Amino acid sequence: MSDPSEALASAKAAADRISKAKRLNACLTPVKELRKSLVAQAQAAHPSGVLYGMPVAVKDNICTLEFTTSCGSRILGGYRSPYDATATAKLKAAGALIAGKTNCDEFGMGSSTEHSAYGRSLHPFDKTRVPGGSSGGSAALVAAGAVPAALGSETGGSVRQPASLCGVVGIKPTYGRVSRYGLVAFGSSLDQIGVLGRSVHDAARVLSVISGRDPRDATCEDRDQLRLPTVPESLQGFVIGIPKEYFPADLDPAVRRACDRAVRLLRELGAAVREVSLPHTGYAVATYYIVAPAEASSNLARYDGARYGPRFNGSEDVRALYRTTRGEGFGAEVRRRVMIGTYVLSSGYYDAYYRRAQQMRALIAQDFRNAFDRGVDLLFTPTTPSPAFKAGEKLGDPVAMYLSDIFTVTANLAGLPAISIPIGRVKGLPLGGQIIGQAFLEDEMLEAAYALERVVPATEEA
Amino acid sequence: MSVTPDDVRKIAGLAELEVDEATVPALAEQMSRILEYVAQINAVPASEGVKPFIPGPDAVRFRPDEVKPSALAFGPAEFAPAFKDGFFLVPKLGAFEEPEL
Repeated sequence: MSDPSEALASAKAAADRISKAKRLNACLTPVKELRKSLVAQAQAAHPSGVLYGMPVAVKDNICTLEFTTSCGSRILGGYRSPYDATATAKLKAAGALIAGKTNCDEFGMGSSTEHSAYGRSLHPFDKTRVPGGSSGGSAALVAAGAVPAALGSETGGSVRQPASLCGVVGIKPTYGRVSRYGLVAFGSSLDQIGVLGRSVHDAARVLSVISGRDPRDATCEDRDQLRLPTVPESLQGFVIGIPKEYFPADLDPAVRRACDRAVRLLRELGAAVREVSLPHTGYAVATYYIVAPAEASSNLARYDGARYGPRFNGSEDVRALYRTTRGEGFGAEVRRRVMIGTYVLSSGYYDAYYRRAQQMRALIAQDFRNAFDRGVDLLFTPTTPSPAFKAGEKLGDPVAMYLSDIFTVTANLAGLPAISIPIGRVKGLPLGGQIIGQAFLEDEMLEAAYALERVVPATEEA
Repeated sequence: MSVTPDDVRKIAGLAELEVDEATVPALAEQMSRILEYVAQINAVPASEGVKPFIPGPDAVRFRPDEVKPSALAFGPAEFAPAFKDGFFLVPKLGAFEEPEL
């Protein structure tokens, strides 16, 4: 697309589609404001950009000048960032149109988008179910066909898990591939911006645009923009490992069938497939739920009613102001995680929890290095242990909710790239398969994903 | 239960969180369950003595220490709850020292 009239038509059509998808509660930006902004953006966008005229929705925890950035939280209700995140700025420089802010679990803490202060998002196939989370609004909007791609963010699987549950593609890049500048911090050693798309190609080309060095983020690697591979004819020469710990005896039989079918297709594409072991996988969720809350309790200390967002008042002194604002501004899950983080970092518990978790994290990362050192190029696993679950089903049991991330958290702990692509349906609901790559070798991961996407019967029952 | 209601009140104080007294028993129960679940990592003796892993660049790259114009599109007066003459406005400090919890 290089014609300004086409970009304008694309902007208006996107506003119409997002308006039609309003019942999903996936987009937090009011339709009237969104339509006006999209038209203005289309008129200002530069036609030479590689994403010229492409509407891309952005998760509500990524800063944008056009729209509010509330992180799905009451404590940042109405907050308008005075700067764009680097990822947002790169999208705009490439001619993309920022198509509103998407609903999410508050500050990215959740796996169902039920922990949003602005109401839960609905699964596009079944309104009684969740779209996953925390980037559930982004996934639902892409799955509903409202936008071809959307930005999400990952701390423990928040792009891949909703992608799996909604039947779209979700990519989490290597830690350091994409700048975190302007991504509101949750767990700084885990957080990465990722992309959800209708197809591997749509998601990958957005990822390519937002990737690359950024002097504003010291954790962003000094690397060029990701170059996209071509779609391979076969996967001859690839060795794909199947980690046995991701296929426990009690795995849902339909999930196993879908994965077995995908593995058979990978073999038919020419890949060599072999079983591998990642022995510390069973400790990943426990490790994650120490490291992430610890980092969150520190990162969220800045929300105190003095500097950002609304102030929940009636306070006679500044300490009371902090406590009232944080107590009323944070939702139940954020409060719980801030308290867990405070507990594990407190005197007397630090060594038993936080230090041990960081050591366990090293062992989990070493498991992956061992597999790759033994000649495996990529790993294939289920993305989620089940398809979309019912709304409310796991709300009363935080540990059950945390276990939704069981197959995704390891890539975050080890800082590795991973992609979820649809591999079939279970009782009509989508299910994703995950390919985990080696650090900064997203091109290999994408080649395998392109090849599998072409042959897998993603809309057929497993 | 590993976390008592008194522990919840103490942790809430450390985290500067006002917690509704009616939710304290449920929070104590949930935090106990979470902490019991995560404590399983202590069952792995192999993790003792391992160097912690943090992803990202081996060394932090520093920017030149130069004063540059602010990149903000607008100032804090527009996003802070209360701002005047270059300062964030807050209530008086009150008692600086907290009583022992």
